[in-house]
Amino acid sequence: MNHFDEAALDPAVSAQQILLTAILAALVAIVAIPQSASAQTAFTLPAPPFEVPMLPSPSGNWTVMVGIGGEYTPDFVGSKNGKFLPIPIFSIRRAGSIDQFRGPRDSASIALLDVGNFRAGPAFKYVSSRKSDKYSELTGLGDVKAAYELGGFVEYYPVDWLRLRTELRQGFGGHSGAVADVSADVIVPLIQRLTISAGPRFTWKSTKATEPYFGVDAAQALASGLPMYDARGGAHSVGVGSQISYRINPQWEVHAYVEYQKLLGDAADSPLVKLRGSSNQTTVGLGASYSFDFRIR
Amino acid sequence: MRRIVILWLGLAVASVALGAAAAFETRATRLQAIKTVGIVSAIGEEMSLTQAGLTGLGNTGQTASISAWGLDELIVQQTTKLLSGRFRVQPVSYRRTAFAAIRDSAVAPVNLLRSDPFKELVRSDVAPQGLDAYIVITRARSKLGNGRNVEGVGLAQYRTLLADYGLIHALYEVRVIDGKSFDVIEKRAAAPLDNTGTMRLAGPSGTVDQGLDGPASSERMRAAIADLITRSLPVTLGDMHLANGDER
Repeated sequence: MNHFDEAALDPAVSAQQILLTAILAALVAIVAIPQSASAQTAFTLPAPPFEVPMLPSPSGNWTVMVGIGGEYTPDFVGSKNGKFLPIPIFSIRRAGSIDQFRGPRDSASIALLDVGNFRAGPAFKYVSSRKSDKYSELTGLGDVKAAYELGGFVEYYPVDWLRLRTELRQGFGGHSGAVADVSADVIVPLIQRLTISAGPRFTWKSTKATEPYFGVDAAQALASGLPMYDARGGAHSVGVGSQISYRINPQWEVHAYVEYQKLLGDAADSPLVKLRGSSNQTTVGLGASYSFDFRIR
Repeated sequence: MRRIVILWLGLAVASVALGAAAAFETRATRLQAIKTVGIVSAIGEEMSLTQAGLTGLGNTGQTASISAWGLDELIVQQTTKLLSGRFRVQPVSYRRTAFAAIRDSAVAPVNLLRSDPFKELVRSDVAPQGLDAYIVITRARSKLGNGRNVEGVGLAQYRTLLADYGLIHALYEVRVIDGKSFDVIEKRAAAPLDNTGTMRLAGPSGTVDQGLDGPASSERMRAAIADLITRSLPVTLGDMHLANGDER
């Protein structure tokens, strides 16, 4: 469960960024902890010297959430081995506004349209590069550059405890195909502080989004020893995910999640997956975050 | 040559800085010029009854009329008291229902791009005109749970598998509208009163206790809502630099 306002940071940020964020988070937490216990807000910042026309004033109370998490995830999509990634958690929102439910697989998104139970807006996902020299299974397949997927999301709550979400994104960089994610989450608050959620997931990818990761051309076949393979688009994966979050107090929250994906279609049939990897993809994550308020006069 | 480039760069930076200073007149400057104000309040005509969390299909919010509670009169009275030290507050007349009927657009950018709807209403609906500024207090909105919005004055119930939790809320925002140009000088939503609860709204709210059940519950509810308003108004107006901080 990553947070970046409504925008999640991608797990694959560089080590430097992670370290910087962790240090910043620790510093902010040290500043905030002694004061927040007794004060309504941790600190007050002066008002900005001017207002920008059209934009709302930043004055008022804000809630900042900082934290750190970790995720055990496949080395690359289709890999049978995994790696541990630290994940910084950071969000900033108007004080009192609800930290809305997020699924671990949700892209970074902003709800420009929000009528309560229906939300929609732009979505963005960063897909990290795949370096062939980092994993022996990829030897000879060459690198795939980082991809930037831009698109939109729509989510609908028929009832407060059921979220249906769809994302459609177009890739740039590492792939230039289209990706669609569909998910449903049943969100059950056991008590006010403890919430569990679970639901199915489905992903569709076009040929241009599948080929760079699962196709093997003649040169790659020669260099890798894998048979040539023409990967086409279609149903990419189906899976299930679940998460649990517990708010210890208004400041501290801990969470954990597990996501399972079964690769389908040409992705599952790729020799990279069949001969050197696995179509079963599991991600497990956990994290803790600390929230504090500050005020802009 | 290098000296000329630096000179031009310095000139450009100075021009931009001076231009920005001239273009972005701060709200503090504009507030300082205000002497007479009128107060408009339109949050107290009805209260919402909302359920969130584990609710049934087709659960929709309900509303109940609370105009008899006189909350808008209370707000005008309290605000007048808080502002009197700094401004000359004059009574104004307006159609409360017209102010209460205005809603934000569900499409967030529309709210940024369109003209503030309260500007026109102040121009056309408030008498007398010609005061330096009008303080307009209207309903604000907050999320409750995942798929529910709550507005203004209300009672919300958050249902979980093992327990239910109740909240009363008085969510409002304050605009300062220039009496001549009808520009919105400042707009601010009342902040939460404390950060002690795990269930929070983006404005003044409090947990419902047993005392709000049973006979005379309406009067106790009114008293609890009035308490939220009277405690939050000095903070909100103080934050907007409209009231003295020591009046909190």
